[in-house]
Amino acid sequence: MLPQFLFSGLALGSIYGLVALGFAVIYKATHVFNFAQGMLMVCGAYLAVTATTQLALPFYLAAPFILAGAALIGALVYVLLVKPLTGRPLLPVIMTTIALSIILRSLIEILYGVSPRSLATPLPTGSFLIGGVRFSELHVTAAAVSWVCMALFAGFFRFSRAGLLMRATADSFEAAVLSGVNVNRINAGAWAVGTMLAAVAGVFLGQLQLASVELENIGLLALPAVVIGGLQSIPGAVLGGVLVGLIEQLASGYVSPKARDIFIYGLLLLVLLIRPWGLFGQRELGRV
Amino acid sequence: MSASLQGLAAQVPAAPKPLRPRLTPGKAAAVLLGLAFLIYLPFVLQDRAILGLRLSNMQLLNVGLSQLNLTLIAAIGAVSLNYLTGSAGLVSIGHAAFFAVGAMAAAAAGKHLGLPFLATLVAAVIAGAIAGVLAGLPSLRVRGLYFVLSTLALHFIVVYAFSEYQYAFYEVAGITMAEAKIGSFDLDSNIRWYFFLLPIVVVTCLALRNSLRYRQGRALLAMRDNELAAAASGVDVRYLRLKAFAFSSALAALAGALQAYYLTTVSAEIYTLNFAIQFIAMIIIGGMGSVAGGVAGALVWLLLPSILTGFAAQLNGSTDVFSRLLAANRPQVVNLIFGALVVLLLIYAPGGLAGGARRVAVWVRRVLQRRAS
Repeated sequence: MLPQFLFSGLALGSIYGLVALGFAVIYKATHVFNFAQGMLMVCGAYLAVTATTQLALPFYLAAPFILAGAALIGALVYVLLVKPLTGRPLLPVIMTTIALSIILRSLIEILYGVSPRSLATPLPTGSFLIGGVRFSELHVTAAAVSWVCMALFAGFFRFSRAGLLMRATADSFEAAVLSGVNVNRINAGAWAVGTMLAAVAGVFLGQLQLASVELENIGLLALPAVVIGGLQSIPGAVLGGVLVGLIEQLASGYVSPKARDIFIYGLLLLVLLIRPWGLFGQRELGRV
Repeated sequence: MSASLQGLAAQVPAAPKPLRPRLTPGKAAAVLLGLAFLIYLPFVLQDRAILGLRLSNMQLLNVGLSQLNLTLIAAIGAVSLNYLTGSAGLVSIGHAAFFAVGAMAAAAAGKHLGLPFLATLVAAVIAGAIAGVLAGLPSLRVRGLYFVLSTLALHFIVVYAFSEYQYAFYEVAGITMAEAKIGSFDLDSNIRWYFFLLPIVVVTCLALRNSLRYRQGRALLAMRDNELAAAASGVDVRYLRLKAFAFSSALAALAGALQAYYLTTVSAEIYTLNFAIQFIAMIIIGGMGSVAGGVAGALVWLLLPSILTGFAAQLNGSTDVFSRLLAANRPQVVNLIFGALVVLLLIYAPGGLAGGARRVAVWVRRVLQRRAS
């Protein structure tokens, strides 16, 4: 059974890593701990419902539609909610993102109805056996696409001008402003990117299960993933996601599906107490 | 800068007035009137009539006595969270966990130890305080965001423990609580519950308000505003933080036990993350750091849905977009309004209802002074 759990853990973990990466991009750029990340992921699943079922777009149009829709949502959230709260204490900002997820959830339920929707994308749904382990093609595709997305965004941050400006703004807001960077546009871009990453994950999770607002609970696993990996570390977020996926599958497989939370959040608590800067993060130095 | 500082001063409650404020005749009359209102209110809601005059459902805003009782219970939770978050500056999303601890302790004390109703409430308070100290321990090591996350982890761990306890000793559907009896007096009607809960809420609010005026409360506010300065002034911030946590969670556990008894059955499923979030929303709507704000937030949060339902029932038949939307998706519309309300308040009125009232009072006083001079 172990290889099977490892496979599904790695595949799901890659999806979580994608959500966590989007989360980390947003956190690095605007220092907003985004509790709505799970709901932004759900938005991706429902954008896919609109694209494939309601508009019946072919796949090569549906994909850009979903990405553009997600980017728009992310940028709007930044302009309407995050920017007015710049410089405010922790609780108002956290609570705004929680309220955002409540708003998004009720909007989705009003627009799409409360019952879950099935997603029909042309992604492969079969499975094949290698050495007694059942590989679901959808899981494999999801993992592959996740890693391609992560590589693309790593390249984007490393080599493109916009990526460089984002890193500069995250590094030092004031210095970026002084150098003439339009930080509002850069931060809106970071929210757009973070939402797009979550949306891609949402499409896969919606396909693996059903598109419903309850997927938020899975998306929320990005929170412990990011913190376990290290809040300030982008590769840490991805590795944290993979780790959370593995723990989830092993805990559900060997203990019980309900025990999943206690292992993940127990590890989170341990990390917070012993290494608050995360397994892969750098220790933050405090200065008086 | 000074304008924004003044704006901030209007939003954040200043240090409370010194102990023993003067009792003016006007104030005494207001207190008596308020008490009379609170005592008469349940009878109005029960008889659906005021002084023999029948009131329509909408004139009573579609509010029933059971909603009022649930509001009273929620108010205990809201003021206790407000003490922790608004006054001590510790953000926690673990309040549902303390409700669960209280319910679990009360159920366990009744089932395994055979304690009577009131004694199980005491057991819930003690269990809540102990859980609060344990939950506060990470605060000795981590701050801010990391501490919030430790309360999030706590939430999932406690809810898991609750569900394991429930499945081990009770039916899957939930824990059925013993009858709430004080001696031979049975709390079996809404009106009895109201008069049992009301004094608890009033005493809790008064105790919190007074504690904020004494040494410890002031130390708490100092710690919230500047931890280093507070520590330098001789406040043991680590001990104080644990104490605040224990106090707040003991109250939350009491509310949890009361809620469990009032609802007669509880199960682990009701203690969701949203359950905890609603208390944060209440104190944001009501006003951070204000005892009255906590109560006001609980009132808005629990009564607004039924008021909206009443409107929806009345509007049924009219065909404009909003009423059709309300009729078809009531819970969603309620959530949408709450979400939007929280966001708007956070951006435009961070002091919540209490802060707004304070600003109005300042404005009225200024206008009156201008008239007088």
